[in-house]
Amino acid sequence: MSRWTLFLLILLLGLGLGLVYGWVINPVSYQDTTLNSLRVDYKTDYTLMVAEVYHQEGDLDWALNRLILLEDRNPLISVENALKFASQAEYTLPDMFLLRDLHNALKELD
Amino acid sequence: MEQNRGNWYLLTGLILGLALGLIYAWVISPVTEVDTHPNLLRDDYKDIYRSIISHAYQANTNLPRAKARLDLIGDDDPALALAAQAQRFLAENGDTEMAKVLANLSASLQIAAGPAATPVPPTVTTMPEDENNSSSNNGGNSENDDQDSASSTREPTSEVPTSPTPSPTSSPPFILQDSSPICDPTLGETLIQIIATDGSGEGVPGITLEIALGTNPNEVFYTGLKPELGLGYADYLAEPGLTYQIEVPDSGLVISDIEVPTCKTETEDSYWGSWEIYITHPN
Repeated sequence: MSRWTLFLLILLLGLGLGLVYGWVINPVSYQDTTLNSLRVDYKTDYTLMVAEVYHQEGDLDWALNRLILLEDRNPLISVENALKFASQAEYTLPDMFLLRDLHNALKELD
Repeated sequence: MEQNRGNWYLLTGLILGLALGLIYAWVISPVTEVDTHPNLLRDDYKDIYRSIISHAYQANTNLPRAKARLDLIGDDDPALALAAQAQRFLAENGDTEMAKVLANLSASLQIAAGPAATPVPPTVTTMPEDENNSSSNNGGNSENDDQDSASSTREPTSEVPTSPTPSPTSSPPFILQDSSPICDPTLGETLIQIIATDGSGEGVPGITLEIALGTNPNEVFYTGLKPELGLGYADYLAEPGLTYQIEVPDSGLVISDIEVPTCKTETEDSYWGSWEIYITHPN
């Protein structure tokens, strides 16, 4: 085996070890994340909070401004995702109704 | 010589590969963080999260749910964090509505956590000049004459609370119990301190206070934003030489002629004092 081949093989081995270390063993630690990166259950709860306030105050602009912070393509998608998860996680009916009401209000706006 | 060069270049290749791998993994294409927890949110997003929790609490008045949500943020003391955020909002952008929403949840958490001590007024070391003068001019009253000037600050009601603090929203109107200058060199600031208590002497958080200075627009602040000093405590940094007026809008109570007093130490050195106001329910 030539010296260059051996060099490249060792280089690739080092590259592989570096990637394993940087991605698996010691990945970049995030401390300052955004609402968009929240796990789906937290996003759903966030959306539910917006729905609770919307139900009480009926201020759709306020709700939209808070949903935009989730940085989904469309606030309606955020609520749809929340409804999906809430259904899977068997949220209580009153909570489901709140999400549905917000969803309907946004759909009319769409 | 040839053999030695060969060994070194293999080591060089390994180190170079490792370095390239780490640069790629940490800088060029780091792990994308999805599915994170609210306690990892950036501070400004945590503020938004707390605001929405407070708004939702205002809508559903479900305290256990609000508390569970606040626990996700990971603040050591959620009530304190809410109060601090309310103060920050007031100071930075004057968002009184949002501050009130935050303060309400903070107050509810403090009430739910159980009774907290009403702050004991600071020990007075010397009488304010004005009070000394007025006392000597008009002879003073017999109660004050009997007291040493070093302990003349009146105590707030000292009854031990036996029942939970009522919700601030359902409180009867407040009446003025005491409004007087205090001299306490340890305070270090010229403060107007307000202590709101209920009939049993327990601090009442979440009371809206408006402070006015001449024709300047009113500034709003609330009791309970410094829970470490008592649930019913609020203060305002006053400027010497100005006359303030404080209103408790929900009670129609107006307290006028509040000024930073001039005080003297035992060695006759002058310093600015503070002003203390006690308000309470009439029952």
